[in-house]
Amino acid sequence: MLSRWKRFVYLLRCSYYVSEVEAKPQLQQYRSAFVFGSWIRRLPKPQTVFSDRTRRTLHTSSPSMVKLLSVEELFARRSLQEHLKKMEMEYGDCLWAVSSSGPEEQCSEDQLRTKRTKVSLLAPLVQSIRELDAKQKEIAETEILLKDEDPALRELAELERENCVQDIRDLRQKILELLIPEEEADLSDLVLEVTAGVGGQEAMLFTAEMFDMYQGFAQHHGWSFDVLEHMTSDIGGLRHASASISGSQSYKKMKFEAGVHRVQRVPKTEKQGRMHTSTMTVAVLPQPTEISFTINPKDLRIDTKRASGAGGQHVNTTDSAVRIVHLPTGVVAECQQERSQLKNREKAMKALRAKLYGMKLEEETSKRSNQRKIQIGTKGRSEKIRTYNFAQDRITDHRIGMTVHDIKSFLLGEDLLDEMNSSLQEFSDQETLMELLEESSQEVS
Amino acid sequence: MNNDAETVFVLNMWRRSLSTRYRCFGRRSVGPKGVWSSHAVRTCSSPVLPAGRITALEAVDFWRRHFEERGVMEPDQSSQHIIAHVLGAKTIESLERERLTEFLSQETAEQVWKLCTRRLSRMPVQYVIEEWDFRDLTLKMRPPVFIPRPETEELVELVLTDLLMKPGTGVGADTQHTCLEVGCGSGAISLSLLKSLPQLKAVALDQSQDAVDLTTENALRLRLQDRLQVHHLDIMKDAETVLSLCRPVLVLVSNPPYLFSEDMASLEPEIFRFEDHAALDGGEDGLRVIKQILVLAPQILSDHGRVYMEVDPRHPPLIRQWVEVNVGELQYVETRHDITGRPRFCILQKAKAKRDHKLDLD
Repeated sequence: MLSRWKRFVYLLRCSYYVSEVEAKPQLQQYRSAFVFGSWIRRLPKPQTVFSDRTRRTLHTSSPSMVKLLSVEELFARRSLQEHLKKMEMEYGDCLWAVSSSGPEEQCSEDQLRTKRTKVSLLAPLVQSIRELDAKQKEIAETEILLKDEDPALRELAELERENCVQDIRDLRQKILELLIPEEEADLSDLVLEVTAGVGGQEAMLFTAEMFDMYQGFAQHHGWSFDVLEHMTSDIGGLRHASASISGSQSYKKMKFEAGVHRVQRVPKTEKQGRMHTSTMTVAVLPQPTEISFTINPKDLRIDTKRASGAGGQHVNTTDSAVRIVHLPTGVVAECQQERSQLKNREKAMKALRAKLYGMKLEEETSKRSNQRKIQIGTKGRSEKIRTYNFAQDRITDHRIGMTVHDIKSFLLGEDLLDEMNSSLQEFSDQETLMELLEESSQEVS
Repeated sequence: MNNDAETVFVLNMWRRSLSTRYRCFGRRSVGPKGVWSSHAVRTCSSPVLPAGRITALEAVDFWRRHFEERGVMEPDQSSQHIIAHVLGAKTIESLERERLTEFLSQETAEQVWKLCTRRLSRMPVQYVIEEWDFRDLTLKMRPPVFIPRPETEELVELVLTDLLMKPGTGVGADTQHTCLEVGCGSGAISLSLLKSLPQLKAVALDQSQDAVDLTTENALRLRLQDRLQVHHLDIMKDAETVLSLCRPVLVLVSNPPYLFSEDMASLEPEIFRFEDHAALDGGEDGLRVIKQILVLAPQILSDHGRVYMEVDPRHPPLIRQWVEVNVGELQYVETRHDITGRPRFCILQKAKAKRDHKLDLD
């Protein structure tokens, strides 16, 4: 075990001096295993041999360091401890209010209902907090046993302690997850839109590669990937495309892909071997359910090729493309992916609903804090979130300053993209948590 | 012949022609435009299969130009659909870039040539590839059986919406409802309804034996044959037999021949030469078969049963008037429009005879 650690230290030190170009595969595994908070889960017996800070600085490319706190660090914070105590108190109050031995003053039906909802919401959190307290007491007891004279007892205590440490970590992780509220949109499916940006044909070729990457990503997670719109360029690039993605946690993960992606490479179309920078934009629109968002059919104009002449039995065409225009906003969606006109119409409607719902959500999310690094929605739409540098074979996400290598594997949309996505998720969760604690402490004071 | 330089050169020519939409001019001149020059087209009635290898995209473009030259309707859709079908896909968009740019095997190319040549004779694409989609079904198509139109997809939608509102049609329901289709053709309407409503039973008839055979074949392919009965009957001549077929039904649905006889001559060759005229010609006013269906409807329908029909845009007011005078037991409910905004569907309901109504009022 020790030799493995020594080897790791050596490799880390090497990598610090080696440029980001040639990353060794085995190092990559360690790097990703270590950096963003999940290292505890990946390695068998974690030991705090290295300080958190040294590990993390190695992997950021921007001077402004992104610090992702570990679970321990978060729990060491006073604001978190106070917030947890506050939650416990709130739970206790609500529970007392709704129980039979309630207060003397009459609570209205509405108030009672709110309190009941609060109780059921907070119950799992409070349970975990109490379990954590219990575990911490347990570990204190085993500490005493560790000093015992009997070596058998000592060994037993050692085992106990290890289990406790693991349990504490798991409970803390669980508490953090319970604290972060789930967004309504996180449970929905999504419509993915890709559009070529600056760079002409090269941008369109890159857009096609990105669309394929997301198709791979969907497959990797077992989501369905249903192409709604698909406008190609002459040499196999993609001007614009959209797909309906559905599956567990699809929106929750894909939302971090929204923004401007930048590619730096020598294009296929380039004759003189010069490096170009092109862009493409990814938009992620949550798919609303029928109930939550309705469109008035009178607001729509549907265009098909059968519009002229008498239609019906008079005409036989194989052109079943459908184009729907939402008259009040001018938003357009069209589809010619299917042979059945009805199916094309359904797909176009789906794309249109997602676009309109996206617009509606913009108004709501504009109320959210501007200070976050990871923006979702219009604020994030025009931000350059990621650069793909083919010459140096690296992909850098600018929001968290994370760099990974091996573009070819990354563009498969499998493990590498998944890891980056998980890191973004963790960072976003941390930001949410910090905001939550900030608000909480302000309420108290 | 097939050395790399030549292939690359030919590919470059194709690529350029693809991107600049290169048209006819230079074709007659002598020049390396690839092994399949227009000379071949001019001399024979159908183009010769090229000696060299060709990719799917090149084939699409080649045939698109040929269809254009020969005045075949919808040249790009035709070539795209046919070639996509040969490659095992429904649309060209659903094929990956790699498949489209790799060379076709000899058999595949021959198949493409065979099917596209058929299209040159103005045979509808649906007959060339022998299948087409209707709602969420893929149906076999065969001349001269009538090819379902997109408007009819909406007719099925209307029927479904109404049926779903009725109790006893959903999954696990007790009552079994039956619908009768007059003029089933390829079976599109009946099979769509059966697919969407597991408790429904359907009876379909057509005056053409070919249509009956094709509907049966499609039912078997979709495994819906248990709930469908198909009969070779002519609603005009075999009215008595039709009435004895089944107990009163909840729904009578039809896409009857509704073209005016005078309009038949102006039909596109795709329709005129290949589709059964009996499935199109509705007589002088287009109402011949429609009227017969409406006359028989009250005896076919159960109480409050409904008739759903697809008609010519000029028909709804005529039908409304005619029914009021001639079919007392049928009440005209409403006219629905198709998505192009044309009045296309007539819905009528079996009600108490109007004469009885008047008596009640007195």
